[in-house]
Amino acid sequence: MESAVSEHITLLALFSDVDPTADGIEKLRELGVSDDDMTVISGVPLTEAMLDRPRPWSNVSRLALGGAAAGFLFGAFLNFGTPKLYTVYVGGQSIFPVPPGMIILFEMTMLFMLLATFLGVFLESYFPNYRPLEYVPEISDGKIAVFFKCPQDEQEKFTDALNQLGAESVKPAEARQL
Amino acid sequence: MAVASKYLPGAKKAHGNQDNEHELRQHLMHDPRPRGELNQMVMESMYATSWKFWVVFAILSILTATCFFYAWGYMIAEGLGVAGVMRPSYWGIFLVNTVFWIGISHAGTFISAILRVFKAEFRRPFTRAAELMTTFGLIQAGASIFMHMGRVWLSYWMLPIPNERQLWPNFHSPLMWDLLAITTYVLGSTMYLFLPLIPDLAMARDRSTGWRKTFFKILALGFRGTEGEWLHLRTAMNIFAFAIIPVMFSVHTIVSWDFAMSMRPGWSSTVFGPYFVVGALHSGMGAVAIVLFIMRATMKHMGYFIRAEHFDALGKLMLTVSMAWAYFFFNDYIVQWYGGDKWTDTLLHWHESGPMAWMFFSMLILNIAVPWLILWNRKFRQTPWLLASVGLLINVGMWFERYIIIPVSLTINRMPFTWKLYFPRIEIFLTIGTFAMFLLFYLIASRLIPLVPVWEVEEGQMAHSLTKVGRAVVPSVSEIDLTVE
Repeated sequence: MESAVSEHITLLALFSDVDPTADGIEKLRELGVSDDDMTVISGVPLTEAMLDRPRPWSNVSRLALGGAAAGFLFGAFLNFGTPKLYTVYVGGQSIFPVPPGMIILFEMTMLFMLLATFLGVFLESYFPNYRPLEYVPEISDGKIAVFFKCPQDEQEKFTDALNQLGAESVKPAEARQL
Repeated sequence: MAVASKYLPGAKKAHGNQDNEHELRQHLMHDPRPRGELNQMVMESMYATSWKFWVVFAILSILTATCFFYAWGYMIAEGLGVAGVMRPSYWGIFLVNTVFWIGISHAGTFISAILRVFKAEFRRPFTRAAELMTTFGLIQAGASIFMHMGRVWLSYWMLPIPNERQLWPNFHSPLMWDLLAITTYVLGSTMYLFLPLIPDLAMARDRSTGWRKTFFKILALGFRGTEGEWLHLRTAMNIFAFAIIPVMFSVHTIVSWDFAMSMRPGWSSTVFGPYFVVGALHSGMGAVAIVLFIMRATMKHMGYFIRAEHFDALGKLMLTVSMAWAYFFFNDYIVQWYGGDKWTDTLLHWHESGPMAWMFFSMLILNIAVPWLILWNRKFRQTPWLLASVGLLINVGMWFERYIIIPVSLTINRMPFTWKLYFPRIEIFLTIGTFAMFLLFYLIASRLIPLVPVWEVEEGQMAHSLTKVGRAVVPSVSEIDLTVE
């Protein structure tokens, strides 16, 4: 098992534009690299359609929905629960007046939804992450990096193929402290 | 038979596409530069500090220390008696400032969220500058509420935690709605500021050394720009952009209900909610114009990012919002005037002919006449110092508006023997303190975080192109983010 893992190497191909990147990804697929074994890193968001990549899964919107539901329930507790715990009649209103209750429900629903969305980004992206990661600073200068796994003995073949398609460099990826 | 010319006198025929194309290249989105160069420009704008910066920094620090912290500390030690608030004007400048700063904070959300939702491309270079105003404005609004509270150490009584008598806050009170709405807005807008900042912090991390590197590294959270990270970020930003808009509207509406839910003359108005929201946008837009002018005039390379087109677009927004404000003001005024209630009538006369009439008429001139007379003209709108001056005057006018609504209106009530004009005392120092602190925070932020969202500018430049239609070259925009969830 150990030897099987060591037979593969992670390479980093650096492109300067979207078109050669898309061509490079297509070529990698032809050479037998699956989409799961590729990662594209860029300084601007590139949609999956641009690079013909499968759509990643994101739970952020589901978490937001869950947060909204939790906020609604918390708002309902503030609104209908706390007056029940200590009953004080105010301004001739009933203990559970609906119109003012709408305001509390709205604010708490929105607050919890926004908090859940924010935390969702952290959870889904594994933030914060201060461990060494495969990265090159050129990415934030506009380059597009494709990290992919390939058999170690075929490194040259992959390198040549990507260089021909316009890759600026193809080299073994190194995890570095960001 | 002679054929009449179809051209206006003096009209020039375009010489090919060159003039047109040259004009279009004046727009930021059609004047792209390599990403590395954009990064370099933004980093240099953060790092370049002249002696003038430190002089301003020192002055603002001294003003903040004395007028904010010392004055507030003195008021806490001595009690609210050192302030001018007393019967009948229990609500004075502290609440004027609260409403004013919440108003300023609306600009960030409006520019960043509403313009993002409607894909207004001119927003790109200055969304962050506006979002920062939201966060720093809300800090001042919150501080002003605590000043007004007097015994700030008891502020936790508003939190929904049971005390020894199991007594809970009254959530039917507009003041509790305020607490919840402002809390939601502060947290929401701060998160909304931070999310699109992450990629730029990562960019800054890659180009920094020393303590700045550590600072950016911590805040960038390990962001690299993988497909997943971008997707989660964009999804969250979309949710925020849509969700923060109703929150923004709710905040100033609820602030207006602090007044409108009472039965006082001049306050009990059903139109107060939208009137306050539009007023907030009015002052917020003006404040953005001031900030953009200062950024462009004082920070390196900002002339590239903030151009005449941005001032032009902002000027149009300011003019539109000014018209909307005039509409709501008159709507509120005419209904009260027509109602014929004795005390409301007395109040309206007091506004127009009392000792504060100068403020009332100044408010109308600064909020309506000034923008209408200046902002109709494209050349005027595109002149940064002029637009910033209009923004400043609008803000003075809007501060006057809040002053008239709160302490001036409180002077007149249904008990004439209590009528007394409000004169601020320590509030004047505290007001200076909040302004100084706001500017100080902004000054510090301008050197610690990239004020221009570089990745958003690059994304916009990628999406824009010049297309030939017949003999003309026309700008076109591709919706490159259309497939993002």
